[in-house]
Amino acid sequence: MSTEVTLPELGENVSSGDLVKLLVKPGDRIEKDQPLLELETDKATVEVPSPSSGTVKEVHVREGQKLTVGQAILSLEAGDNGAQRPAAKRQAEPEPSAGKTAAASAASAPAPAPGAMAPAPSEGPGSGQAGRKAVALPELGENIASGDLVKVLVKVGDRIEKDQPIIEIETDKATVEVPSPEAGTVTEIAVKAGQKINVGDLILMVSSSAEVLPQGGLPEQPEPKSTENVMARAAEPAQAAEEPSVRDGEAPARGTWEAPAEAPAQEEPAAARALPNIAVMPARRPASGRSPADVAAAPSVRQLAREIGIDITDVEATGRGGRITFDDVKRHARESRISALPGAAAPALPLPDFAKWGEIERQPMNAVRRATARQMQYAWAIPHVTQNDKADTTALEKLRQRFSERAERMGGKLTTTAVALKIVAGALKVFPRFAASLDLAAEEVILKKYVHIGVAVDTERGLIVPVIRDVDKKNILELSVELAEVAERARNRKLGPQDLEGGVFTITNLGGIGGTFFSPIINAPQVAILGIGRSQWEPVFRRESGSDGAKGHFEPRLLLPLSLSYDHRIIDGADAARFLRWLAEAFEQPFLLSLEG
Amino acid sequence: MKKVPEKKTIAVIGAGPGGYAAAFLAADLGMQVTLIDRDPNPGGVCLYVGCIPSKALLHVAALINESAHAKEWGVSFPSPKIDLEKLRGFKNNVVGKLTGGLGQLSKQRKVTYLRGTAAFMDSRTLKVQKLEGGAEQLRFDNIILATGSRPVRIPGVSIDSPRVMDSTGALDLPDIPKSLLVIGGGYIGLELGTVYAALGTKVSVVEMMPGLLPGADRDLVRPLAQRVQKSFAAVMLNTKVASVKEEKGGIRVRFEGPEVKELEQVFDRVLVSVGRRPNSEIDGLEKTGVTKNARGFIEVDLQRRTNDPAIYAIGDVAGEPMLAHKASHEGRVAVEAIAGHKGASFEPRAIPAVVFTDPEIAWCGLTETQAEAEKRAIKVARFPWAASGRAVTLDRTEGMTKLIIDPETERLLGAGIVGPGAGELIAECVLAIEMSAVASDIKLSIHPHPTLSETIMESAESYFGQATHIYRPASARGAGG
Repeated sequence: MSTEVTLPELGENVSSGDLVKLLVKPGDRIEKDQPLLELETDKATVEVPSPSSGTVKEVHVREGQKLTVGQAILSLEAGDNGAQRPAAKRQAEPEPSAGKTAAASAASAPAPAPGAMAPAPSEGPGSGQAGRKAVALPELGENIASGDLVKVLVKVGDRIEKDQPIIEIETDKATVEVPSPEAGTVTEIAVKAGQKINVGDLILMVSSSAEVLPQGGLPEQPEPKSTENVMARAAEPAQAAEEPSVRDGEAPARGTWEAPAEAPAQEEPAAARALPNIAVMPARRPASGRSPADVAAAPSVRQLAREIGIDITDVEATGRGGRITFDDVKRHARESRISALPGAAAPALPLPDFAKWGEIERQPMNAVRRATARQMQYAWAIPHVTQNDKADTTALEKLRQRFSERAERMGGKLTTTAVALKIVAGALKVFPRFAASLDLAAEEVILKKYVHIGVAVDTERGLIVPVIRDVDKKNILELSVELAEVAERARNRKLGPQDLEGGVFTITNLGGIGGTFFSPIINAPQVAILGIGRSQWEPVFRRESGSDGAKGHFEPRLLLPLSLSYDHRIIDGADAARFLRWLAEAFEQPFLLSLEG
Repeated sequence: MKKVPEKKTIAVIGAGPGGYAAAFLAADLGMQVTLIDRDPNPGGVCLYVGCIPSKALLHVAALINESAHAKEWGVSFPSPKIDLEKLRGFKNNVVGKLTGGLGQLSKQRKVTYLRGTAAFMDSRTLKVQKLEGGAEQLRFDNIILATGSRPVRIPGVSIDSPRVMDSTGALDLPDIPKSLLVIGGGYIGLELGTVYAALGTKVSVVEMMPGLLPGADRDLVRPLAQRVQKSFAAVMLNTKVASVKEEKGGIRVRFEGPEVKELEQVFDRVLVSVGRRPNSEIDGLEKTGVTKNARGFIEVDLQRRTNDPAIYAIGDVAGEPMLAHKASHEGRVAVEAIAGHKGASFEPRAIPAVVFTDPEIAWCGLTETQAEAEKRAIKVARFPWAASGRAVTLDRTEGMTKLIIDPETERLLGAGIVGPGAGELIAECVLAIEMSAVASDIKLSIHPHPTLSETIMESAESYFGQATHIYRPASARGAGG
């Protein structure tokens, strides 16, 4: 029997990646844990192993495509128990395998309904069954015959309203959301993200609301059920049919006894009956969206949400059983505060049709670009201030040249960045706030007792920021060696997610290219970043001692431009000036490092 | 506990479970509190003429019933001799102890307790007519209305006769009548009917709806209905009271309805328990911005603030369900809102309801009846007490526990229990619903053996088995989701 292999969880906050390389092809016999493909995520390039062994039957993805967690990658034919599956069993089958995503269930043939289930036989599109409607890609505009499906916005089992967007499609002109012409429950999705679809192609099937969704097609079971259970579920509707009305007549609908018309001749028809009328909240269920009562969260968590002004229905749950935790609410508060800022809405700006004015070319953003774009978008919410200063590195330069050979012998390069790392580590011990983070939801400052510092590395794919661990515990030579090694790995895509996490501060050195001062952008959730420009020989006026005027002489000094951007919510200007001065003085007198750092 | 910065002044009108809970919290938060009520001590209907005295009497009734039941276990007692004065004394003692305790708590918190009635002069000014004489005009930053409810009177039925009582009169235990007609098969009528039946009265119940406890799920009511058939003289369903006339030696009642056997009967006493209505006719309320709905309840928002920003309303007067525990929760919410706590909101997922009959019935959250009315897809996991070791040892196997579960998320949405002790057992289900527990959470929590609480765990287990699944009609399932 064949199973669908879907893209597994890749780690915290990683939900998608670019397929760099496919490592298997149809017909390949693969072992469990054998790498299937190479995926470049925001954080790193990873190899995705196979969850089981078997023969590759079909590959659903192609190189260059963006994959999301849960998306079907390929179908795998298991070794022995292949083709001869009893028909009855097959009917109950799709749930466990297709359990992960709608895409998966779509890829593995439409979910067949058990024969016993009269109301919603799942046949192909256009079978003419009452209540089941096929939704096809409508005309998108003049001269547009097809598009790339960017995203499926609904999943099997969803109740959709007329005009609710169901897919996002990218045509040569624009990315558009395609609205549903029908209302009902999605019973089947015939397309998947990344696929090219033509006008008129089937997108999905909806059944009108009165109908039952085929149990086998339900994608969102929290835990896969045993086969027995699945079969039991499949059998339900049949039993339901035999028992059309449960205890009919016995249970009067609530409210009948509330109606004054039913009451005996009473002078006070407004009176309540003696029975406590437990009008509880779970009953409320608006047609669209979640009601607060549908949200799984403890009273204390709901209270926290109210306290910090968060609509609990907007919070994404990570807890067991779909429960919303304290941390979920806090995270949501952080994120929504960022997205609530005007800058965050920028991507939604409609683009003009640039092709009107000449030839254009569209290039997909790679994962690094996307990550940078997103990170910078977040950073926009931070009230930045940039403080500039110059450090006299004349003496340091002499030392650097003197010891550079030693560093090279060890395989490193004694660069300004390596020295800056050590100096910043020292400064962070004196000024711990520059390594802090802000927890706005809790109204707390998080101080970190470790000194891991990110270093911006320019690669052909874009900016990558590997993190050097425990900088305070390493000497400059060790740092120069590690820096060279990390930069090399960054350029060769050999960094793992762990190499990019945990930084408390970032250094970006553009001096190798040129320029003086610039305004680096903070790498949130950090609160400060140091930008280094190119050092230049400049005339520095030395006043004669004892003179009160402009008596003295100019001296050539090697000055290093330093730009410190900081988050003004947590750091004040005076602190920043002190911090930067401390850095500048450390560059001028490296001895200070051993003295204070 | 966050204290309020400046000393706010607040008045609470009505010292029932909602009012005194509000007053005490307000005092603890540093507010200057005035609590106004007619009774000598806080307590309200619940403590003086409601929950508490009825439970004292029901405890005695249970003992009487139990000792009669003991004959089947080989233990016989002579039929009980009832010293009505002493029984009344026990009940009054219970009430006195609890209300006196509340008076103490109120003094310790430096709450100003005024015995009297309040009238609004404007949104923030009250004129309190004191019971001891004299009036006082007082101004407050905020006022909380906790005036409660009172029994409904039916004209032509609630006639002016000592033989026709409401719940307050019945709790006074004037005598043990030979026969008693309970008009209204709701929880008050059934609880008091149970007391009088145990004391030896021939109790008849008349209910215009086709079943007792209208609105409650039928499967929960069934074991009670069966027991009441035996312990009461008659249960007349689908029957209305056409007229009530006092005559020498009794009350003559005429019945009306398709199932009436005897058109007229004479009873020693009649208890009218057809419901309660809010006490929202407060003097001078029209001088404020407070609004009422068609049924006389004061309209409030989630913080229990009325249409007048200075005035809050809680408890029975602010809407159903009219239950003490709902009122005290609301009282705390209102005070927190006044204190400026942003998290304060009345948003319960489940309010437990308990009927203290024999057997007890308790439920919380979504009921099957509600789910059916709303066409909401649910699954019901039942566990019959005949399979509970503890129930068998009590020789009370008619009970049943059921969980109402969302088939999609497997979250517990509601629960219902019938059987001795159901009122105590339901609390676990309330917590489970509030915590958004899923069926497996309950299943995986070890419950003590041998106790009735195991029936909750085993109901959850039965959700995962096949035998106890109750399948809803296909049409009801499609609309959910």
